[in-house]
Amino acid sequence: MTITVRTEREGDRARLVPVGAFDVAHAPAVAQAVAQVPPDLEGCRSIDLDLTHLDRIDGSGAVLLARFLDRLDFDGDRTRIVADRNPEAARLITLYRQKRAESAPPPTRAMGLLATIGAAAADLPARITDTLDFTGRCIAALPKIITSPRSVDWHSLPRLVQEIGADALPVTSSANLLVGVIIGFLGVSQLGRFGAVVYVPELVVVAHFRELGPLVTAIVVAGRSGAGLASEIATMKVSEEIDALRSMKFDPMMWLVVPRCLALVLVVPLLTWVGDALALVGGLLATVAITDLTPRAYILATMDAITPSHFFGGLVKTPFLALAIGLIACAQGLATQGGAAAVGARTTTAVVLAIFGVIAINSLFTLLYVAMGV
Amino acid sequence: MPTTRPHIVVEDLCIGWGTRVLMEHVTFDIERGTTFAILGGSGSGKSTLLRYLIGLEEPRAGRIDIDGVGQPHRYQGIPAFGVLFQSGALFSSMTLAENLALPLTTWTPIRGATVRDLVQAKLELVGLGPFAEHLPGEISGGMKKRAGIARAMMLEPDLLFFDEPSAGLDPISAVELDELIVTLSRDLGITIVIVTHELPSIFLVAHQCIVLDKIAKGIVAQGDPRALREESKIPFVHNFFTRSSPGASASPGR
Repeated sequence: MTITVRTEREGDRARLVPVGAFDVAHAPAVAQAVAQVPPDLEGCRSIDLDLTHLDRIDGSGAVLLARFLDRLDFDGDRTRIVADRNPEAARLITLYRQKRAESAPPPTRAMGLLATIGAAAADLPARITDTLDFTGRCIAALPKIITSPRSVDWHSLPRLVQEIGADALPVTSSANLLVGVIIGFLGVSQLGRFGAVVYVPELVVVAHFRELGPLVTAIVVAGRSGAGLASEIATMKVSEEIDALRSMKFDPMMWLVVPRCLALVLVVPLLTWVGDALALVGGLLATVAITDLTPRAYILATMDAITPSHFFGGLVKTPFLALAIGLIACAQGLATQGGAAAVGARTTTAVVLAIFGVIAINSLFTLLYVAMGV
Repeated sequence: MPTTRPHIVVEDLCIGWGTRVLMEHVTFDIERGTTFAILGGSGSGKSTLLRYLIGLEEPRAGRIDIDGVGQPHRYQGIPAFGVLFQSGALFSSMTLAENLALPLTTWTPIRGATVRDLVQAKLELVGLGPFAEHLPGEISGGMKKRAGIARAMMLEPDLLFFDEPSAGLDPISAVELDELIVTLSRDLGITIVIVTHELPSIFLVAHQCIVLDKIAKGIVAQGDPRALREESKIPFVHNFFTRSSPGASASPGR
């Protein structure tokens, strides 16, 4: 089936006859047919559109014809639709004409690269003050837990402990076990060169209890619960649940952030503690598997190596790491604006910042311990 | 335009999950080119019925047959009908123009300037010409719905489904939307199925309707809504049409 716009001229009058199926399925051909017309029409004052030979027309075909007529009108021609034989088509084309926009509000987008960098840099101070502001408001909210305990959603605490703690146990445990195995192998291969395999248990204890245990656990929790909390709160924000809370005079800081941070602070030390124990098992497995150290000797050496300073030196950091994860995730969630895409973006930012924050805080503690000579 | 065959046939449809039956023995026809309203109180299953009509769910028993589509949940071809969801369901990461262009660029070979022309024309048809480059987050709820209608119409379907089109709109926007629906039905000859409980809107736009009821688990009345308002003897239907209807008791001047 051919789709064309036939042109018939008599003096300064022209007659345009669209032939064929002018519908969305044939839109590219229709657009082409319409585009081929104009050169013939120079000098015509009056143009008639004859719809008799249309096989079919739908909204899309009508749009293309209407735009075409708009262009002709704009060029100063006088156009007219001959509608007698096909009133539906004429109505359809008329529907899509004379709908030109009023004054368009200017969309503010499409920045260049430099402008984007500039805008990001200009945003930076505001971001930093926002973070400080959020932390400050959180700390300011703490006394209110005691003065008005009912402003906290305590009922959600068991669920949160379950989700953030118990449900995470398999993954944090296995991660810690594997890190224990890695330290074991590393210790055997390095210390073994000096015949010092007997010090591998101590290496596992010191490395894991003080540094890697809290760090590995916190990174896993940051990835897992950081994403979960941020996306939950971001979705609540987007679907106006946060606004609903505030309208009922609940402080989202108290109602949402406090129980989440509290749950994290409660469970991360426990997860770390379990992880520490499993890392010892990992170290044992690795060492016993590739050296002739007996399990009994390994266990005795381990028990000698565990000192309160190693054990608590590690565990003391974990509430701070947990708090960082909770604050970052909740702050990102509450800062969400827009729709589904914003939820995804904020969740990503939350996980990235939480993991980075955990590593940074852990480094600070390490420096502090070194300075204190612990 | 009128043909002997109805556009949509629903026969003995049963809807439910597990042991719970929400609706059974639902039977009705929708004639081509008419505007058909699905009415009922909150929780009567209006929106659920719509999900079955547009093929998101598989009926537990009975049959839905759309002319040219067959059973909607089995249909695999180019989208044969448009759907307006309650919130508009625009993709929030795309501008209005990108939202509207998506069906065209996915399902047709149309590209470039033609896409822009078609998108702009549809936006102007629903009165959103100046907002092509806005994100859904930057426009009001009523505008989102109108943009949703424009997107549903991009492939020039002869059948449109509207889920509560005027819910949450101010009276003026609601009337504008109703007028748009009348225009679509009259000038484009589109069959329109509306789920609603806005009485003024029903009397303005709908040719035929069914009334669903939670307790009866199905249709309690069907026909012309104006006739049902005047004549129905069923108390629920009578109440439904008259209780909030202006002129029933409150305004003696009319």
